[in-house]
Amino acid sequence: MDELVVRISHCVENGKINKASPYPNAMKGMEGADELTKQALDAAIGPDAILQACNDGMQRIGERFSRNEVFVPELLMAAKAMHAVMAHLEPFFKSGTVKVKGKFVLGTVAGDLHDIGKNLVRMVVEGNGWEVIDLGVDVKSTKFLDAIKNTPGCIVGLSALLTTTMVNMSKTVQEIKIQFPATKVIVGGAPLTMDAALKMGADGYSHDPQGAVTFLDKISAA
Amino acid sequence: MEIVIPQVEREKDTFEVKINFRDLTVNKNDIELALGYTEGAIPVHFEEMVDDVLSQLPSHCEIQAGYRLLDVNKSDDRNDGLFVGDKFFKLHKIVTSQLRKSEKAALFISTIGPAMETWAKTLSTEGDIALSYLVDIVASVTEEQTTDVLQDHIEKQMQMRGLKITNRYSPGYCDWSVSEQHLLFSFFPVNFCGIVLTDSALMVPIKSVSGIIGVGTEVKKVNYTCDTCGMKDCTYRAYRRGKTKRTN
Ligand code: B12
Repeated sequence: MDELVVRISHCVENGKINKASPYPNAMKGMEGADELTKQALDAAIGPDAILQACNDGMQRIGERFSRNEVFVPELLMAAKAMHAVMAHLEPFFKSGTVKVKGKFVLGTVAGDLHDIGKNLVRMVVEGNGWEVIDLGVDVKSTKFLDAIKNTPGCIVGLSALLTTTMVNMSKTVQEIKIQFPATKVIVGGAPLTMDAALKMGADGYSHDPQGAVTFLDKISAA
Repeated sequence: MEIVIPQVEREKDTFEVKINFRDLTVNKNDIELALGYTEGAIPVHFEEMVDDVLSQLPSHCEIQAGYRLLDVNKSDDRNDGLFVGDKFFKLHKIVTSQLRKSEKAALFISTIGPAMETWAKTLSTEGDIALSYLVDIVASVTEEQTTDVLQDHIEKQMQMRGLKITNRYSPGYCDWSVSEQHLLFSFFPVNFCGIVLTDSALMVPIKSVSGIIGVGTEVKKVNYTCDTCGMKDCTYRAYRRGKTKRTN
């Protein structure tokens, strides 16, 4: 693998955005994801290879997060570095030279205003090469249904933070399954368990964003 | 010198407690713990960010807190809850047993207001998601602290009446359903402490806490009986454990 690509992957994993960014301490003053991506494109390295490097970096930090070796702040810095790369790759996505892995419709269910957990999921899923359509918080089921209609082939993610709003989550899952039985749904948030997820008819549950990526990647590979 | 926090009786037995930001001791260790790091293990960069958030915290807190004292009816010998005032709260038997010797109960709520939330949202829309997250966590820890201060205040007030208090318990913890928030809020004046309860039992501002504290001559605070509770995923257990480890 090209050395530049390896370095980009390393920058993404460690959250090194650009040269000016003081994070992480050990990479102060070094070039970051931003500069290295530009250099890689100038050196005619294919956007696919760069994208793969990013995904590998995100995958590694996600796994470290799941193992409790790093925490949310590190994960967010990695996602930010990933975004710096994405900004350079934007034209290739537009032209269709590179493709996103798929589309993920995400939102916090009706009656619930929590967004920090959902935002983390968005950042990490995007960082792993998916397009995320974020519907925000307090999302009524009709809004989810509309989004699914307008986004053929999408996968849906629902977030809730209280047991009381889990009731709305359950209703939303059921409505989705009635109208779009083939659409896969993953749920998450503090009060949920795999058991509760399956009971409400969802296809998956994860207690962290990395699990959402694993779920999505598995479906897209199938 | 012991701090005495002023309180105002807004309606009979309903008090607003004038907690000031200076009454809190928002501890950096608690924040690091809430972020997941063990003591001293937070990367320097994030520590600096936390310092920055902490320096702006006072101007982003609009603390409001209050409680209402009600009679506890123990004529009933059910172990699945308690009558507080004229309403029955359905509680786990462990919590019921901790509260059942109470003569009175203090139903409380507290909030640090919406400003931290708004700040976190703005940062998030601007793409500064890491700082946004830190603001959110600092806000949560500050709200927990506020509730600690309120609990201490209630304890002192009750001591002056020759009474003791139990631990505090909140809907959503220890198998007490969050939907009972509606019952709890029915005892407060509308918009008490600036907190509104939505149909889905969510308090707005988000950084708010509610609960109950038993009061009486025969009650006492105990170590949280987390080990006997069935809620395996409750992080309060971990939080408590972390806290006792450090302070004891
Ligand atoms: C900090 C905290 C608070 C703070 C701030 C709350 C806030 N929401 O901002 C304070 C002290 C104010 C508070 C208050 C209350 N809290 Co509270 N709180 C917590 C705590 C410890 C952490 C929450 C948090 O910020 N996590 C960080 C974020 C990033 O995590 P997250 O949102 O869960 O998201 C992660 C995952 O869930 C997942 N995820 C999220 N969405 C999705 C979606 C998909 C598709 C996927 C795959 C994954 C995923 O990925 C994220 C990143 O890892 C949790 C326990 C816990 N460990 O979760 C309890 C917890 C959420 N609280 C709880 C309760 C009950 C309350 C109160 C009702 C208590 C009360 N009576 O006062 C109030 C409610 C406040 C309100 N506004 O109504 C319960 C909720 C469960 C329930 N019984 O309903 C919890 C779970 C504690 C428990 N009992 O176990 N709380």
